Amino acid sequence: MKTETVAMILAGGQGSRLGKLTKQIAKPAVPFGGNYRIIDFALSNCANSGFNDVAVVTQYQPLVLNRHVGNGSSWGLNRHNGGATILQPYSSVDGEKFFKGTAHAVYQNIDYINQKDPEFVVILSGDHIYKMDYEKMLDYHKKQGASLTVGVIPVPWEEASRFGVMNTDKTDRIIEFQEKPENPKSNLASMGIYIFTWARLKQYLADSQSKSRHMDDFGHDVLPAYLRNSESIFAYSFEGYWKDVGTIESLWSANMEFIDPNHELNIRDRDWRVYSKNPNTTPQFLTETAKVENSMITDGCYIAGEVNHSILSHNVKVGKNSVIKDSFIMPNAVIGENVTVEKAIVGEGARIYDDTELIGTEKEISVVGYGEEVGGYSDEK
Amino acid sequence: MRNKIAPILNLVEYEDKLKPLTDRRPVASLPFACRYRLIDFPFSSLYNCEAESAALFISGSGHSLYDHIRSGSAWGLDSSVGGGVFTHSQVKLKSNRSAETKHDPFYYEDHYNYVTKTKADYVVMMGSSLLSNIQIQSLLQFHNDKNSEVTVVYKKVGRSELIEDTVHSALILNNENSGEIEAVKDIVSMDKDDSLYLNMETMIIEKKTFLDYLHQAKADDLDINVGNFIQYTLDMGLLIFGYEYTGYLKAIEDIKSYYDANMDMLDEDNFNALFYRADPVRTRSKNSAPTYYGETAVIENAQFANDCEIFGTVKNSLVFRKVSVGENAHVESSIIMQDSVIEEDTYLKHVILDKHVYVKKGARLEGTAEKPIVIAKNGVVYAKGESKEG
Repeated sequence: MKTETVAMILAGGQGSRLGKLTKQIAKPAVPFGGNYRIIDFALSNCANSGFNDVAVVTQYQPLVLNRHVGNGSSWGLNRHNGGATILQPYSSVDGEKFFKGTAHAVYQNIDYINQKDPEFVVILSGDHIYKMDYEKMLDYHKKQGASLTVGVIPVPWEEASRFGVMNTDKTDRIIEFQEKPENPKSNLASMGIYIFTWARLKQYLADSQSKSRHMDDFGHDVLPAYLRNSESIFAYSFEGYWKDVGTIESLWSANMEFIDPNHELNIRDRDWRVYSKNPNTTPQFLTETAKVENSMITDGCYIAGEVNHSILSHNVKVGKNSVIKDSFIMPNAVIGENVTVEKAIVGEGARIYDDTELIGTEKEISVVGYGEEVGGYSDEK
Repeated sequence: MRNKIAPILNLVEYEDKLKPLTDRRPVASLPFACRYRLIDFPFSSLYNCEAESAALFISGSGHSLYDHIRSGSAWGLDSSVGGGVFTHSQVKLKSNRSAETKHDPFYYEDHYNYVTKTKADYVVMMGSSLLSNIQIQSLLQFHNDKNSEVTVVYKKVGRSELIEDTVHSALILNNENSGEIEAVKDIVSMDKDDSLYLNMETMIIEKKTFLDYLHQAKADDLDINVGNFIQYTLDMGLLIFGYEYTGYLKAIEDIKSYYDANMDMLDEDNFNALFYRADPVRTRSKNSAPTYYGETAVIENAQFANDCEIFGTVKNSLVFRKVSVGENAHVESSIIMQDSVIEEDTYLKHVILDKHVYVKKGARLEGTAEKPIVIAKNGVVYAKGESKEG
């Protein structure tokens, strides 16, 4: 069968606003919701939308991400026809192919797309928490005969100036694009989801190289060029839960929302599952002294303390007389005895020693980094 | 130690006293400890010694077992070079049939073909009903140090740790230090205060010795199992040693021993002995969401798998995947298997719910630790306490 669609998940970003949580790993690999990493949502959407050819484009600190994605088998993307592919910068006779921006990352991997020779290329970012049927958007793209369709989501007007917003006419054709405008003319924010008719985009990317015009970024360069040339660009409006978890506060609040058993994402829905790479680990063990309330807990956890309105990812240990409240604990973290953790994010493999207090506020979430150690004996005592 | 061993799993095991849990599955695929099946333990031993392939001999429908094993990838048995799970179904064994007919000729041929086609130097035979976590590397090392032809794994246990009419056998050692085996003996006739060396039905054999035995077994129409093998080895005057296992062990022979083995896991020492050792226990991983514990949940000394939703009280119990426990439900000293639903205002104590059992609002079930109540797969339990087959 001919490949109709290739999906490219851009997962090379650092996510510098996540501070020490992304020092060692790329933002799409940051754990989320107990059993997931952020990129699982985009990957699962691809699998559930029937996309078989999915490339994950990595650049910044790719080790954890690459191991997580592997051959794509966790998402059923290891079929003989297509599958998941990890694309990383490489060097060639034309020099090193590090990515200067989103569009440049696609251009540098043009060989991969040419090999598949698809009709459409779907550009996704690996940074967002949402469930979306991309096939519906692709149908819309085909129906409109568009050369580009941009996924947009209505946001509250007062927040519109934080996003790239699309002004549309009555037929949903995009007529203007404003990047983080002071006075937005629209509240339709770009979700960073683009469906391109490949033949057209290929021309733009190739021409830019020969004419030394920059086509580095989809938002800054490609979209404006398409607009100038009156290409047919349409907005596809998405309604549903969509969250950018690019900051400590948004990552924390998205996790806190996620605890709610009636959350809009409905992760227990068997018809649209969120897949992840599941580690091999033991059952969750709640001892006689454990007290667990309104929380999500994952396999491999050992809990002897109190857990209230929190998410514990796999293999987290919580010692006796410790209290975890309003917090998100990432995989393999060890929390000792008599520890209080409140309004916090504790990084993967972090250790919090006995008798430590770690208390944040909603405005300033307390963060323990990847593998960081807190408390214990120190010379200052 | 790649390529060194050809594992043969004899999964035609005594199951009559485990009914109804074994109505639709062999002992090997009995669910255990929230997210495992008994086959995971021998398979993890194989994974940890880097075995490349395995041969399974089972009788009856293998559906539940094959569904669990699939390609064997969870235990590294799916390599395209030398890998594979070779399944041999519908094996008729004497222990499992009423009329004694001769063995199917393929029974011996299948063993022969598997062992000769692998490049292995040794054959390892294992079962699944003696729950344990055996290190095959150490067994192999012992076997080589002793220049043994056959080495059998045993554990020192009390007679009372096994059921009265147990099918298992004991080893008679000529001296505990050397470990040389003198005889094999049925346990049934032993005194209840005796201690004994339980034959764990796991052994390692030189490939040539195994093939010689096959020849003999075919001529005499014998089952291929560890007990017969020991007898043959002794008759031939070959060197045969016992290797002592000191870790957690439970013989799963009836409902009570199955129940006790699960309950044992609620004791941290047992749990750690089986799971937190250098060699992890692996199972087929399934996609899942974390388990949600509601505001009304009260949990005390219990284990859960992912994907559950708990709003009631769960005490001293083991809860498998995708189970929901409603508000004001009380679950105590029970085993709740995958996909079961326990509605609100219910009471369960000393109960085993097989997969996909529905406990309706207001229902009460109370067994005893000696005789837990078992509800078969797909059953529905109504408020009056009547249950219905699914």
